[in-house]
Amino acid sequence: MLSAPDDCCYGVDDHTTGSTAQTIKGGMRTPPPLAPLGPPPIPADNPQSPAKIEWGRYLFFDPRLGGDASTGCSTCHEPDQGWSWAEDISRGYPGTVHWRSNQTIINAAYYSKLFWAGSSTSLEAQARAASKGGVAGNGETDIMEARLALIPRYVALSREAFGTEWPLLRDAYRAIAAFERTLVQRDTPLDRYLLGDETALSEEQIRGKQLFEGKAGCIQCHNGPLASDENYYNIGVPGVKRWESDGLAQITFRFELYAKGVPEELYRTLKDDPGAYFRSRNRWDMGKFRTPSLRYTLYTAPYMHSGQFDTLEEVVDFYNAGGVAADGRTTSFPETKSPLIRPLGLTGQEREDLVAFIEAFSGEEILIEKPELPPYAPLFTRAQLQAAQEAK
Amino acid sequence: MPNLTGGREQMGPQAMCRRTLLAVVMGAGLTFGAQAALVPELGPLPPIQYDKAKAELGKRLFFDKRLSGDAGIACATCHDPKQGWTQNQPLSDGYPGNGHFRNAPTLINVAYKKVWNHDGRIGTSLDDMVREMITEDYIMNMDMRIMQERLKQDPLYLEMFRDAGYGEPSNGGVRQAIPEFLKSLTSRNAPFDTGKMSTAARKGLQLFKGKAGCIQCHNGPLASDGKAHNTGVPENFGIFLNPENHQAFIAFALFQGIENYMNLKRDPGYYNVTLDQADMGKFITPSLRELKYTAPYMHNGMLATLEEVVAFYNAGGGKESRKSPLLKPLGLSEDEQRNLVAFLLALSGDPLTTAEHIWQQPFPAEYSAIENWKDVRN
Repeated sequence: MLSAPDDCCYGVDDHTTGSTAQTIKGGMRTPPPLAPLGPPPIPADNPQSPAKIEWGRYLFFDPRLGGDASTGCSTCHEPDQGWSWAEDISRGYPGTVHWRSNQTIINAAYYSKLFWAGSSTSLEAQARAASKGGVAGNGETDIMEARLALIPRYVALSREAFGTEWPLLRDAYRAIAAFERTLVQRDTPLDRYLLGDETALSEEQIRGKQLFEGKAGCIQCHNGPLASDENYYNIGVPGVKRWESDGLAQITFRFELYAKGVPEELYRTLKDDPGAYFRSRNRWDMGKFRTPSLRYTLYTAPYMHSGQFDTLEEVVDFYNAGGVAADGRTTSFPETKSPLIRPLGLTGQEREDLVAFIEAFSGEEILIEKPELPPYAPLFTRAQLQAAQEAK
Repeated sequence: MPNLTGGREQMGPQAMCRRTLLAVVMGAGLTFGAQAALVPELGPLPPIQYDKAKAELGKRLFFDKRLSGDAGIACATCHDPKQGWTQNQPLSDGYPGNGHFRNAPTLINVAYKKVWNHDGRIGTSLDDMVREMITEDYIMNMDMRIMQERLKQDPLYLEMFRDAGYGEPSNGGVRQAIPEFLKSLTSRNAPFDTGKMSTAARKGLQLFKGKAGCIQCHNGPLASDGKAHNTGVPENFGIFLNPENHQAFIAFALFQGIENYMNLKRDPGYYNVTLDQADMGKFITPSLRELKYTAPYMHNGMLATLEEVVAFYNAGGGKESRKSPLLKPLGLSEDEQRNLVAFLLALSGDPLTTAEHIWQQPFPAEYSAIENWKDVRN
């Protein structure tokens, strides 16, 4: 357990995370080292199977899993955009825009907390929340489940994978999760280096690694195989600039406060995303977000929960300035900002080295051919309907 | 004959409860001959008072596509003033991405009803009915929390909600303002009401009250007893053969908790309300007002013309074991059927297609941003 004297920098879930962070000399904790990524954890209640993965692959790309059959997982988690969405905040359901930066699906299988405030604790739950959220899929269970039953290929695949007569939506979420557990990247330059291939990193990157683990202090939170401790911090990221000038985005911002439920006074006055506060309802969690993995970030710009930085260079500059953006913007919740974030005094060369090292967390871009989606077919024949009519 | 005498509770407003001892002269084949039956009179609809500012707000909301999830459809999409405040097609469009499984009823005179939907599943208020239409996933699929915030982003709504006395835009305000607007949609100058009926229509009225027996269910000012009956209307196979329509049906049946919904090959109708097998295939008697504009007919749009409807009843309704005993072959001549149609048409008034009932101004293509956003209260 953690016993650092100043525990304000530890997130809401510090006591439950099972993090391997240890306490050592001087009150500073020694984080777990970076490590090669192993196979993803497979939950005991949803083992992988070929039929499940195949169904999940279809479903991931199928917009019929959404309110008006236009918006499926891949609509916003676009493989060509890093299995993410290359704007500050994600696109949303038609008629809306989202309010947070879209996170990549690659290696999502390793998180124990999904979404920026960690509101889902499994990929299965994440898929459900995304397909139903008003500014995401905006689908409801009954119509989505009805659609699955009208797609013969899905009836066959769900029967094979789950043994039910008709597809169940909760099984569809399990299948999507099973497919997502195949979307992992374990052969990055960093993985190869950590497994003993000393040529896998350039000299520049090796210098960057030393900064990462030393002077820049990134390792304090970006540690372990995933390069994330899955804890919650306010690092000073400014809110979405677009909220000040985009009517559609202002609508969603207020909707989220309304839908997630905050006291009236906060609904009236908040102008930034309170993040982990939504989950704990503790003031000291305002503006905290779960540490994201640094893996695959070469393809997932822009960065941070609010998508305010377009390049990894901007990200490094932000940390170097102690959690302040180049234009001077920073968090709206300065009282909860982590004391771990302070000016780093990195030189130009050091910042370049650090960026080069962060790039070593990404391997080749993962692109797959989108499946051709199976069509609907009627459940009954005209003769069956005629017979039912006669029998009335 | 419970259906002949049980209309009182359903008819509501005092003016609609006027009753008369009507000697129903039954046609050939009906079992109860000249038995006297108490049914509410046909007659003019009582005037409805409504608040102009609230109705004006409700009018704008009714025509605003931003009240649906993907901002693709408005109330007026399926209840189109130019199509008799319904859609002139057997099955309503439904929400983008799916179809529907029932015919959209006209909204003219909807405020007089005491029970809504063909299956009668809402019997509380138009407020609840509006909520049902806006939020149901196969209809408008709107998260009303998003709707509220959309309305708060529109300066004209801020003004109109305030002027209507609702304060800032809210979901509750929408649920009150749209019903207020719907109160303005009432029959006007129907020949039956003005007394200017043709001779054929007058003959038709006598048949309606007598030999054809229509008045047994189509009574009171709305020409509806507000009750559920099984007339044996054939199923619309299109619901089950077209996956877009069928998915809406399955979603409905699943959500309503109707057992065996994957194998259902018929619309359960009022069974949905009572879960009593005896009510399978019953539907709420529709009003006969404004039929001139609202073809096709029946809960599933299976009858294209009024002539077909009259022929259907003349044949004693459809084939159905649970069919109402009130339905028997009527033995109406061709002439009598024509006269009956003439009377039905005399229950239709002026079309409600002017600016009084249709919101004329365009809606903004985008939401304007709130200025000084960081400094003002949300």
